[in-house]
Amino acid sequence: MANFWIDWLAPFLIIVAQILAVALPVAVSVAFVVYFERKVFAAMTLRRGPNVVGPWGVLQSFADFIKIFFKETIIPTGANKVVFLAAPVVTFILAFIAWAVVPFAPGWVIADINVGILYLFAVSSLGVYGIVMAGWASNSRYPFLGALRSAAQMVSYEVSMGFVIVTVLLVVGSLNLSDIVKAQETFWFALPLFPMFIIFFISALAETNRHPFDLPEAESELVAGYQVEYSAIAFVLFFLAEYANMILMSAMTAILFLGGWLPPFDIAPFTWVPGPIWFILKIVFLLFVFVWVRATFPRYRYDQLMRLGWKVFLPFSLLWVVLTAGVLVFFDLLPQG
Amino acid sequence: MPQAPVPDILPALPEIWLAVAAMLLLMVGAFRGNASTRMVSWLAVVAVAIAFVLVLSGSKETGTTFAGMFVVDSFSTFAKELILVGTAATLVMSMDYIRREGMERFEFPVLILLATIGMMMMVSANDLISLYVGIELQSLALYVIAAFKRDTLKSTEAGLKYFVLGALSSGMLLYGASLIYGFTGSTNFEAIGALYTQAGQEPSIGLIVGLVFLISGLAFKVSAVPFHMWTPDVYEGASTPATAFFAIAPKVAAMTLLVRVLIAPFFGAVDDWQQIITLIAILSMGYGAFAALRQANIKRLMAYSSIGHMGFALVGLAAGTEQGVQSVLIYLLIYLVMNIGAFAAILTMRVKGQMVEGIDDLAGLGRNNPMLALVLAILFFSLAGIPPLAGFFGKFYVFLAAIDAQLYTLAVLGVLSSVVGAYYYLRIIKVMYFDEPAESFERPIGREMTLILGASTLFTAFFVVFPGPFLAWTQQAAAALLP
Amino acid sequence: MILSAIAFYVFAAIIIASAVLVVSARNPVHSVFFLILAFFNAAGIFVLAGAEFLAMILVIVYVGAVAVLFMFVVMMLDINFVRLREGFLQYLPVGALVGIILLIELVFIVTTQVNVPEVLAISGAPTPNISEVTNTHALGRLIYTRYIYLFQAGGLILLVAMIGAIVLTLRERPGVRKQRISDQVGRSRSDSIEIKKVSPGNGI
Repeated sequence: MANFWIDWLAPFLIIVAQILAVALPVAVSVAFVVYFERKVFAAMTLRRGPNVVGPWGVLQSFADFIKIFFKETIIPTGANKVVFLAAPVVTFILAFIAWAVVPFAPGWVIADINVGILYLFAVSSLGVYGIVMAGWASNSRYPFLGALRSAAQMVSYEVSMGFVIVTVLLVVGSLNLSDIVKAQETFWFALPLFPMFIIFFISALAETNRHPFDLPEAESELVAGYQVEYSAIAFVLFFLAEYANMILMSAMTAILFLGGWLPPFDIAPFTWVPGPIWFILKIVFLLFVFVWVRATFPRYRYDQLMRLGWKVFLPFSLLWVVLTAGVLVFFDLLPQG
Repeated sequence: MPQAPVPDILPALPEIWLAVAAMLLLMVGAFRGNASTRMVSWLAVVAVAIAFVLVLSGSKETGTTFAGMFVVDSFSTFAKELILVGTAATLVMSMDYIRREGMERFEFPVLILLATIGMMMMVSANDLISLYVGIELQSLALYVIAAFKRDTLKSTEAGLKYFVLGALSSGMLLYGASLIYGFTGSTNFEAIGALYTQAGQEPSIGLIVGLVFLISGLAFKVSAVPFHMWTPDVYEGASTPATAFFAIAPKVAAMTLLVRVLIAPFFGAVDDWQQIITLIAILSMGYGAFAALRQANIKRLMAYSSIGHMGFALVGLAAGTEQGVQSVLIYLLIYLVMNIGAFAAILTMRVKGQMVEGIDDLAGLGRNNPMLALVLAILFFSLAGIPPLAGFFGKFYVFLAAIDAQLYTLAVLGVLSSVVGAYYYLRIIKVMYFDEPAESFERPIGREMTLILGASTLFTAFFVVFPGPFLAWTQQAAAALLP
Repeated sequence: MILSAIAFYVFAAIIIASAVLVVSARNPVHSVFFLILAFFNAAGIFVLAGAEFLAMILVIVYVGAVAVLFMFVVMMLDINFVRLREGFLQYLPVGALVGIILLIELVFIVTTQVNVPEVLAISGAPTPNISEVTNTHALGRLIYTRYIYLFQAGGLILLVAMIGAIVLTLRERPGVRKQRISDQVGRSRSDSIEIKKVSPGNGI
């Protein structure tokens, strides 16, 4: 029986604890990200934002959550019930399982797998399923249009995202996320690969259906797109997942281009701050840019979105892959592996 | 882990050159638009000519590269040159046609180049995987070429039919290849062949089943009965230059590939595959002869004719000897030249700006255009196998090989179906010379067409005078293949 | 060991079940969902076998891109599901036959390889040890050296497919007003604005 405890139960409990240690803070931080967005957006549009519930309105998100939680979940008669209810669950789960491979500091990661970046890429590319399922199962016009838009948009931007990742991999020579961060000890990849950094961030906007690429839920054209028929807890799941995805994409950008947990300079005042704090600061900065973009840019038209993805980003990122590979081979800088 | 050495790319230089040329021409077309089609076509012809020189100047020794997947020997050199000649002729013939028919798009010559690369890869395949990859490259390009005239129902139908049946045949081929791999543990032709000679035992039943599937897949590509169903519809539906291309180059590639597969790795199982090839040959010859009798459309007729001709070529393969392989190569050479001529003639059949393809439209050609009629008469007599024209020698060597291998039944049946087949070729000649004249064709036919027609007719008519170099050449090629 | 065995059987069972459902589901969209489920579990089996790179590529390419496009098309189809199923029983015997033949083939091959060890000896390139080289490195070394020919030929095939798709479907539609970004950017103030001096009470 002792064996059972040591061999099976203990590792299992440790894994569960690790998962909770990552998932719970992410879930809670979503609430604050929503608050953060509303505050920043309000400031940029010269309003005050939430300021009633709790000190400076900090508890606004929790109040909203409790209110929505006690509403009735409405399932439209024409809907395909199973798929309709599965869609938000899928979206929510996908937004959280990606955190399994994200390293917060050296060794602070649930699963340090060899192909971490591919795992992240795979999970982020699956996000489209929740939306497509929701749009189709609602059996309604606007959601369906939203789903179609989303499917085409995601596939288009994944292509250039893939190429961006390839350039980073060429420089690092490994698919492991910790290795990618460690390779940035001398300088962050945002410097030598600056155009790729920009393309990646814009593609991340498109991948998370954020402004100015929020066509799947464009409220002025499609009411609320794929979310039209959702209410109460199902809607909350979508909402949480969207913000969790934002955080995830920010984390991904931070790892690939901004040196993950590494301080900006390897000298005294910066090294006093522990790695995870740096990582979180970078994520917060990127989230700020997410909001900043939302407050600044009008929504893209659909054909402009497709044009940008296929005719601008794809050739450009392809060119950079070739260029990066050429430079690495020419100056004999290829990583040994 | 040690790094593998960089493979020697010199043997594959013609293919690499063609691939680079195809991509460059694609860029030229993409930037210059469809107005540049004629220029792209001519540049493609130049690229093919350069590839021809590269093939000729390549090493004469048998050599493999890319980890034994790619082989160059006299056999592949000979086949590649036939293919390149066929490609160049098609490109030249197609230029006027695609402009007149409003399908002048620069992708046409580029696709033909890409298909040619696929064929050259087929011919040089020394591994089941490279065989499959070559076939797919060739087939995929051909499917598109078949459907190229996308605004006509027939062409679209031809492309779709070709694609669906072609995918089926690829499936069979892959199934056979997987069986062979499963039972031998290797996809390399030399390794498979070595397993035979080493073990010295009867090939296992699974291997034979795999071989049958492989032959079925390849028989589809050469359109031998019972895998011929696609041929007439595709030939009729596709635009005429595309049909010409189908009838010329891919047939040579697929047939030489079939020969290589059966002779190089499976020479030890000659008793097993000889019966299959014999059966296919008899069926193809018979079907090609009888089904063509009542055709009114000349492209359909050429489809049945090519089925029959492939049957005759298979007779040589069925012999399974060096002489047999040589006879197949001679047959392919002559078949290629005759078909180039015949299709060049078909491409000149134009009345009041419209292409016509009925046999009736040829009526009275002897009076309207005696030169063209004479040329056609020579070509069709040769296709029928009347001495002393080239077509006769093709059949002659094939039957000789069969008799030497003691396949008497096959030879006799071949001669009989040749007699039946002669009827429909002669019918066309009768229509040309003895029927009431129909509307005469537009003239002039253009310098390039005259050149192609003249060259192929001269070759057909005077092959009897100088067969020596061709015989020597094909013999060398056949000797390179046999162990 | 026992955990991975359990995981294997779970994955395998789900693959088979969802494969059956792909064929038998009444609604084609459900079929696509089950197909995706099958892909996922196949990726799981790859992970169990130590082929992590293949697992991820399977998810990215098949689930993330191919199946999305599948679904894109299937969702837009207006199919009469009842009529679609009419031929099902008719083709069942053929399908079953093919399945049985495949099974027999598998049995044949496995038994040959067990019976004739030298077959195993000559097959393929040696697999490097997983603990020494990662999947990705090992695959890269093979694809770009030993199999470079096939890799490049595969690229050519895809190029042909792309050209074919464009040739057969791209049409210049007349009457569509396209946005030309260069024109918009190149437009200057003098082209579009004319400043008129308007004196009060006169109009233009």
